[in-house]
Amino acid sequence: MRFVLRMAWRETRASWLRLVFFFVCVALGVAAIVVLRSVVQNVRETLTREARQIVGADVVVQSPRPWTREILGTVDRLTADSGVLARTEVIETRTMAASVPGGDSGKGRVKLVELRGVEDAFPFYGAISLEGGQAYSSRLLENHGTLVPPEFLAEMGLAVGDTVRLGGTPFTVRGVVREDRVQRGGGGFAFGPRLYVSLGDLRGLGLLGFGSSATYQIYLRIEESAITGLTTRLRSAFEQQTVSVRSWRAFEDRLGRNLTTAENYLSLVGFAMVVLGGIGVWSVTRVIVQQKVKSVAILKCLGASSRAVLGTYVTVVLWLASAGSALGLGLALAVVRAVPAAVLQPLGITAITVTVSAAAQGVLVGLLVSLLFALVPLLEMRRVKPLLLLRADTAGSARKPDRASRLAGAATAAALMLVAVWQAGSVRAGVYVSLGLGASALLLMLAARLLVWMTSRLAASRVFAVRHAIISLARPGNQTRVILIAVGLGAFFVISIRSIQANLLAEFTAQIGQTSPDLVLIDIQRDQVQGVDTATRPYVLEPIRTMPLMRARVVGVDGRRARLPTPDAVRQQGRLTREFGVTYRDHLQPNETVVAGDFWAAALPAAPEPDVDTEVSISEEVKRDADVDVGDLVRLDVAGQVIRTRVTSIRRVAWDETQNGGFFFVLRPAPVIDRLPHAFVGFLRTGDDPATRAGVQRAVVDGFPNVSAIDVRAVVASIRSVLDNITLGVTIVGAITLMSGVLILVGAVAMTKFQRVYETAIYRTLGASARLVAATVAVEYGVLGLLAGIVASVGALGLSWAIARFLLEIPWRPEPGILVAGAAGTAALVCTVGVLASVDVLLRKPLGALRETS
Amino acid sequence: MIQLTDVSRTVHTGAGPLTILHPTTLGIARGQVVAITGPSGSGKSTLLGLIAGLDAPTSGRIEVDGESITSRSEEQLARLRGEKIGIVFQFFHLLPSLTAFENILVPMEIAGAADAHARAKQLVADVGLSDRAHHYPSQLSGGEQQRVALARALANNPPVLLADEPTGNLDSATGRQVIELLVAVGRRHGRTLVLVTHDPDLAALADEVIALRDGRVVERRPVRS
Repeated sequence: MRFVLRMAWRETRASWLRLVFFFVCVALGVAAIVVLRSVVQNVRETLTREARQIVGADVVVQSPRPWTREILGTVDRLTADSGVLARTEVIETRTMAASVPGGDSGKGRVKLVELRGVEDAFPFYGAISLEGGQAYSSRLLENHGTLVPPEFLAEMGLAVGDTVRLGGTPFTVRGVVREDRVQRGGGGFAFGPRLYVSLGDLRGLGLLGFGSSATYQIYLRIEESAITGLTTRLRSAFEQQTVSVRSWRAFEDRLGRNLTTAENYLSLVGFAMVVLGGIGVWSVTRVIVQQKVKSVAILKCLGASSRAVLGTYVTVVLWLASAGSALGLGLALAVVRAVPAAVLQPLGITAITVTVSAAAQGVLVGLLVSLLFALVPLLEMRRVKPLLLLRADTAGSARKPDRASRLAGAATAAALMLVAVWQAGSVRAGVYVSLGLGASALLLMLAARLLVWMTSRLAASRVFAVRHAIISLARPGNQTRVILIAVGLGAFFVISIRSIQANLLAEFTAQIGQTSPDLVLIDIQRDQVQGVDTATRPYVLEPIRTMPLMRARVVGVDGRRARLPTPDAVRQQGRLTREFGVTYRDHLQPNETVVAGDFWAAALPAAPEPDVDTEVSISEEVKRDADVDVGDLVRLDVAGQVIRTRVTSIRRVAWDETQNGGFFFVLRPAPVIDRLPHAFVGFLRTGDDPATRAGVQRAVVDGFPNVSAIDVRAVVASIRSVLDNITLGVTIVGAITLMSGVLILVGAVAMTKFQRVYETAIYRTLGASARLVAATVAVEYGVLGLLAGIVASVGALGLSWAIARFLLEIPWRPEPGILVAGAAGTAALVCTVGVLASVDVLLRKPLGALRETS
Repeated sequence: MIQLTDVSRTVHTGAGPLTILHPTTLGIARGQVVAITGPSGSGKSTLLGLIAGLDAPTSGRIEVDGESITSRSEEQLARLRGEKIGIVFQFFHLLPSLTAFENILVPMEIAGAADAHARAKQLVADVGLSDRAHHYPSQLSGGEQQRVALARALANNPPVLLADEPTGNLDSATGRQVIELLVAVGRRHGRTLVLVTHDPDLAALADEVIALRDGRVVERRPVRS
C-alpha cells in the first residue's frame, strides 16, 4: 500500500498539469450540483419554516363566490367546539386604481391592482413591514386608508399622504409596504400590485357585484392539535361546493414534495455536466494509459503486481477527482456568495448557504463519475506485458478490449445510470437522462466519424496547411471525437435554447398580431355595456367587442351513455368537476366548426321544453372525455342557480386562435339567461400608443369604477421578460456546458502536445515557417470546430422541431440565422482556443524539441 | 543457478509459426559471468527474456535459483523478479517521471524493504552518481542513465543479474566503463551475470561465452583470462 501511495504521488506530481483541465470540468459539474441543490434546499427550509405565514392562518376556508348563509352556518357549526381561537374575514378582488385628477403628481395615471380587504384581527401569522419603521396597524386602514407597495407609488407618481381612487372612491395612502410576508403563496398569478384596505371599505366600493371576480376567505387560528381534524371535517362538508379548505400543514407537505422534485431535476443538469467532465476524464486516462505502457512494463519488470500498478493509477485518479470536487465545492461557495440578494428575492430567500447534504452529494457524484469513467481505460494496464521492454511488437496486443474490459464497460454504464437515478430521485427520470446522454454522445460520435470521413478527402489538398490539418485530425491518439462530443454537446445546448426562444417569440408576435386586442376590460356589468362602448369610442380603432362570461359547474348529466344524476356522481366520475367559463351567443366564432348536431341561429323566445331551460353546444373534448352527446341533458350550476340544458350540437374549437376565445360550453340565448348572474368581458383595439391606452383606462375608471382593464401589451411584455429570464438561465447552463467543452478542448490540446512538439520541430527543420505551422493548427481546429458546430446545429434543428411540435405545440420555424451563427461561432471559438493553447509549441526551438523527444 | 531444459520458443506470424529458439538445454553456475553472443535475430534477447520470466517458453522447463519459473502466473513471476533477478536494458527503461534516486528506490519499495533509502543512497554512490541523484532521466546522459539502471537492478541484491545489450546505446568509451562496472559489481557479490552482447571485446570480460545462431546454441566456450 505504501508503494501504491508513493508511486501515485510521484505520478500525480509528474502529470497533474496535463490532467488538471479534465478535473476542472468535473469541478464545474460538482459546483453546479452543489449550488442548485443548495438553492432549492435553502428555499425549502425558508418556506417550510414560514409555511404558516405563507398560508396566513392555521386553516383558510375560501370561495370564489360570496358566502351564503348555508355555508357560513356550516363553518359556524363545525368550528364551534373545535378549538378555534380566532377568526377573521378577508376579501380579495381586482380593481383599477387611479391617481386623483388635479393632484400635483401622477395626474391621469391608472393601474390594475389586487385589493385585499382585511379586518382588525388580520394577520394571524406573518408580518407586514412598513417603510420608515412604521408598525402595521389596522388603524392605518380606517376611514379609507390604504397601504401600498413601493412600485405602485413609483408607477403612479404618488407619495404617502396622497390620494388614490379605488373603485371610484378616494383613499389616502397611509404607508408603504416594504415586505408582505402574509399568504404570499396562496394568490397564484397576480394582475397587479397588492393594496391593503379595510374590509368594510372594500364592501362599500360596489366591486362585489354579480359575476365579479373576487375571492372570499375565512382565516382561522386553531389549537395545534385540532388543525388536521377540523380541516378534514370542513373539506368533507364542502366536498360538493366551490369552497376549498387549506391548512398550513397540508401546504407544507405539498411544498416539500414539489421542491424535492425540483431539486432532483435541477441536480440532473449538474449531473449532465459532471458526465461531460467524465468523458474528458475517460479520454485523458486513455491517452495516459497509452503513454504509460512502458512505465507499467518497467514496474512489472521490477516486480510490481498488476494490482499494485492499477492501484497506483486509480489512486492518482482519486486524488485528482478529490481535488476537482474540492475545487467544485470552492467554486460553489464563491458563487453563492456572489449571487446578489435581488436575484434571490423572488425565491423568498435573502442569501444562500451551501448545505452539508448538497456539498456531500456534489463531491460524491464528482468522485464516482471520475472513477467510473477512468476505470475502463485503466483496466487496460492489467494486460501490459513486461516483455515489451525487450520486444516492442508485444505492446499491440494490450490494446484490444477483452471480455473483462467489455464487462467493466457495461458495469460502468450501469453504475452511471444508478448515479443518475440517485440524483434524479426517480428511476424513470434517471434512466431517461442516462439514455438521452448516451444516445446524444453516440449520435455525436457517429456524426463526427461521418464528417471526419467526409473531410478526409481534403487530405489530398494542394494547400499544405489544409492537407496536414486534415491528416492531423486522424493522427493516432487523436482527440477529434472527444472534442467533437464535448464541444458539440455544449454548442448543441446553446444553439437549441436560442432556436426555441426565437420560435416562442415569433409565435408570440404572431399571436398578438393585427387582430388581437390591446386592452381587455373585465367585470363589465350588463347595464354598463352600452356606456363602456360610448366612453371608449373616442380612443379605439373599432367599437368594443363584448362577450358575456359566467362561471358554471356541471351538477348532473342525463344522457344515453353518461348518467351522472347527482353532483356527487359528477365528482366521482371526475371528468367534469372543474369550474368552466361559459358564454351565450347566437352565432359561431371563426375558430369553431360544428361536427355534430346543429348550431342555433337565433335566441330562444321561451324555454324549449317543459324541463329544459335552454340549449347548449359542447366542445368535442367534452364528448370525448365525458361521453356527453347530442340529445343529452346537462344541468349547470351558475353561481348557485341550476339550469337545465339540452345538448344540440358539438363544436370543434381551434384553441390556439385565442383572440376568438374558446369555450367548452356555449348556451343558446333564452329568457333563463337573464336570471343568471354574469358580467361581460370587452376587447379593445387602441393601437400602439401608450397614451391612448392610458386614456381609455382613465375613461373606463372614471365612468365605471368596478370595471378592470388588463393591458395586453404590458402582459405580453412581462411574459416576454419572463421568457428572456428563463432563456438567460438556461443559456447560462448551456454556456457552462460549452465552457466544460472548451476546457476539455484545452486539455486535449495539452494531451497531444508531445506529439505536436515533435511534429512541429520536424516541420520547422524541413523549412516550414512558424506562420505556416500556425496556419496548419488554425485550419485543424477551425475544421474541428466547424464540424462540432454543424453537428450541434443539426441536432438543435431536430430538438427545436420536436419541442415546438410536441411540447409547445406551436408552428416550427428553422431559424437558419441562429444555426449558421452557432456553427460559425463554434468554429471561431475552437479555432481561437486551439491556436492559443498551441502557442508555446509554435515558439519552441526545433533542435531542443527534437533532442527532448528523442 | 540457472537451468534450461529443452526450452524452445515459437511465435505465430502471418506467414505461419516461426521458431525463434530451438530446444535448448543449458546450465549456468552460481557466480558465473556468461556472455551470450550472436548476430541480430539469433535469439539472444529471447533467451534472456525467458530466463527473466518476461516470456513463457513454448516447451521445456526453466529453473532459477532452484525454483521452476515455467508454470508460474504473471504475478508470481513479477514477485520472483523483484526478489531474485535484476535486469539492465539496452534502452535503460527508467521511469521518466521519477528522479534517478526514486528510480533506484522503486524495486525496494515494491519489495517493502525497510532500509530502502539508505541502500538507495549507497547504490547511487556505488555507481558514481551522488551529485546527480535528484535529476530526472531526461536530464542525464546515456551513460548516466545506464548506471542508474544498473543501480536499480542491484537494488534488491538479486542473485541473478541479466543485461540485454547494456552498451548498445552508448559510445564505446562509456560502454566500456558501464560494462566494467557491471562485471565488477557482479563478481564482487558472487552474482550470476548473464550478458547479451554482440561486441566480442565486451564478451571477453565474461567467464564463458555462449554463441547463438538461428535460434540454436552453436558454441559454448570459456574465456581465457
